[in-house]
Amino acid sequence: MIELAPLWLTLKLALSTTLILFIIAVPLANWLTGDKGVFKVVVQTIVSMPLVLPPTVIGFYLLLAFSPANWFGHWLEQWFNIRLVFSFSGLLIASVIYSFPFMVHPIQSGLSSLSPSLKEASYSLGKTKWQTLSKVLLPNIKPSLLTGIVLTFAHTVGEFGVVLMIGGNVPNKTRTASIAIYDEVDALHYHSANIYAGILLALSFAILLLLYSFNRKMQQARFY
Amino acid sequence: MNKILLALLLAIQTLSLWAQPKITVAVAANMQYTIQELITEYNKTDKTKIEVVLGASGKLTQQIQNGAPFDIFISADKEFPQKLAENKLTLEAPKVYAQGLLVLWSARPNIQPTKDLKLLLGSNIKNIAIANPKTAPYGHAAEAILKKYGLYDKVSPKLVTGESISQTSQFIVTQNADIGFTAKSIVISKETQGKGKWVELNAQDYPPIEQSAALLKHAKQNNEAAAKKFYTFLYSAKAKTIYNKFGYIVK
Amino acid sequence: MIEFSLQKNLHTAEGEMQLHVTAKIERGQFVSLYGASGAGKTSILRMLAGFMKPDNGYIKVDHTEWYNGLLKNYLEPQQRRIGFVFQDYALFPNMNVRENLLFALGKNEPTNIVDELLDVTGLTNLAARKIQALSGGQQQRVALARAIAKKPAILLLDEPLSAIDSVMRAQLQDTLREIHKRYALTTILVSHNTDEIIKLSDVVIQLEQGRFTRQTTPADFFRNGNDTGTLTGNIVSIDDNGNAVVLIDNRLLHINIGGKFNVNDKVKIKANEIM
Repeated sequence: MIELAPLWLTLKLALSTTLILFIIAVPLANWLTGDKGVFKVVVQTIVSMPLVLPPTVIGFYLLLAFSPANWFGHWLEQWFNIRLVFSFSGLLIASVIYSFPFMVHPIQSGLSSLSPSLKEASYSLGKTKWQTLSKVLLPNIKPSLLTGIVLTFAHTVGEFGVVLMIGGNVPNKTRTASIAIYDEVDALHYHSANIYAGILLALSFAILLLLYSFNRKMQQARFY
Repeated sequence: MNKILLALLLAIQTLSLWAQPKITVAVAANMQYTIQELITEYNKTDKTKIEVVLGASGKLTQQIQNGAPFDIFISADKEFPQKLAENKLTLEAPKVYAQGLLVLWSARPNIQPTKDLKLLLGSNIKNIAIANPKTAPYGHAAEAILKKYGLYDKVSPKLVTGESISQTSQFIVTQNADIGFTAKSIVISKETQGKGKWVELNAQDYPPIEQSAALLKHAKQNNEAAAKKFYTFLYSAKAKTIYNKFGYIVK
Repeated sequence: MIEFSLQKNLHTAEGEMQLHVTAKIERGQFVSLYGASGAGKTSILRMLAGFMKPDNGYIKVDHTEWYNGLLKNYLEPQQRRIGFVFQDYALFPNMNVRENLLFALGKNEPTNIVDELLDVTGLTNLAARKIQALSGGQQQRVALARAIAKKPAILLLDEPLSAIDSVMRAQLQDTLREIHKRYALTTILVSHNTDEIIKLSDVVIQLEQGRFTRQTTPADFFRNGNDTGTLTGNIVSIDDNGNAVVLIDNRLLHINIGGKFNVNDKVKIKANEIM
């Protein structure tokens, strides 16, 4: 009764979202750390918005934005022949927006917990900003990086409202595990719903358990 | 402190005494505009407050089975109320109140829906909205007509599924879906007037969407008389005029 | 030759302060910046390093312009050839001692300087240790060795010894002096420890309220009645003529202090009296 497709799709979505967000979030978090200008405060606020907004707000605006009846959707369709709604790419964009703070915040708080002199010391030794980030700053905030990665992954696995609004329940494209559960419950197929739900439950538990035991180990390693 | 509490309790008591009798009706999404008119008509003679919960029929059935406090269920088909009757969740056997019609609808300026559905194969149609066939009777009917015309396998990659007929209609109106199947009652309502073009599909080519309603067991604990009265009204001549107006067939 | 003139409006805890200083420093000199906390010493060091941008002025090092406010020239810290020792050492916890030093070198630079520096600073046996496993004094040595691994044009020391106990501090002062000579460095030290300044520096520059008020030798500086230079110590023994032995910073000092003191009294001694 249960198909593996929704689970694979969920995994694919979560992994892609995590990878994309990591690439975006590291430089962004680095830029946000340190002196705050007005512009930075605005960006910081925008980054944090998905924390407080219901997913339906994001879903609603994406639905409007993606529609070919509006300029953005129209432009995408005219120039690139892309329609984002009901597609995996659309879902990916939504997930990236929706999980933004879950990646940026841990990395940012990790970076700001480092002494500013660490960065300056590296500059004084002739290292570029990028070398400083990759060789000095990031290696010293590994637990924060891991937290960001795991939270983003888990949050994407658990994403539901946005997917429900812009997904259209298309098998292999937008029918994620959380949607499949909802669907099976509605169709009174409690048995299949139970299997999907059980798998997600076990997965979430395993991921978080791994994170906490790793961070514990890192903590102990600091003081050996 | 105790006095304040007592006063508060009293106030709540009085408020609920003053409150008009209230019943809750679970309504299939295709009836979302029709039910408003039914209630307006009903309230001309009876001030009973009627609360509406909209959803796909299957979804509502699921909720009722899990103890949702609904007094009446107005479904989009016969099967779901029947299932509730079998599970002894209704007070009497469900009855058909109207028959719904399936339409093909598009809000995109350059798409003209046709009865034969052949246009769905065209490359200008990237996606087709349909209500979830498992839970929404109109979705089930749409799937049936596509199969009958031998189009289902060819167009199934284009299908996007709305969780109810309302979400399906929303996909069509926002033009996120190029075209889609919905209920006639939705396209002829005031709210969607002038938004795109639609065509009524051949009613012989899909199983009749006979919509029935049921008086639910929950009414017994709530306000059985009020619920029973509104339930009876659903089958009255006045109600039938309204069904007609919204494009339903009434026998 | 290092010449600089720096103007900067500083926002301090006590309000706004206009920093405006000009100085010339000869190559190979050991210069101490002396002044009360909040006078702007660290800001000057940070502007020389390029961590803080002056509002106006210039910095010239051996005929190369690091900064010119008029021409809007500004060299980033990476291009300035500086060694900087921070108050908190700023060692990289993800690297061991040797890796911290190696990090200072470019890709294809020979690494023998690292071994030499480890030897000079007495760190050879600790080379493979993680930073967290070192004492404060050892960390200070690593910071110092790392700062000069690149053979900087200026070595900038921001109160490097303030957090270290006095026995260790004396040893480190010796190391510092030795390194300064051995590698012919030009060094600027921020300190408010009179003892340290006298021991290490060729020139003292006094900073008061954002201005340089004096630039001279330590001997001259403390002889001419600069009463901010006082030392505090305890009397260890005293005879009838007032000849006392005073313990100051773990050293014993013989001095005649007159008859009105007893053993264990705490005494303050003006720096010019010691000279």
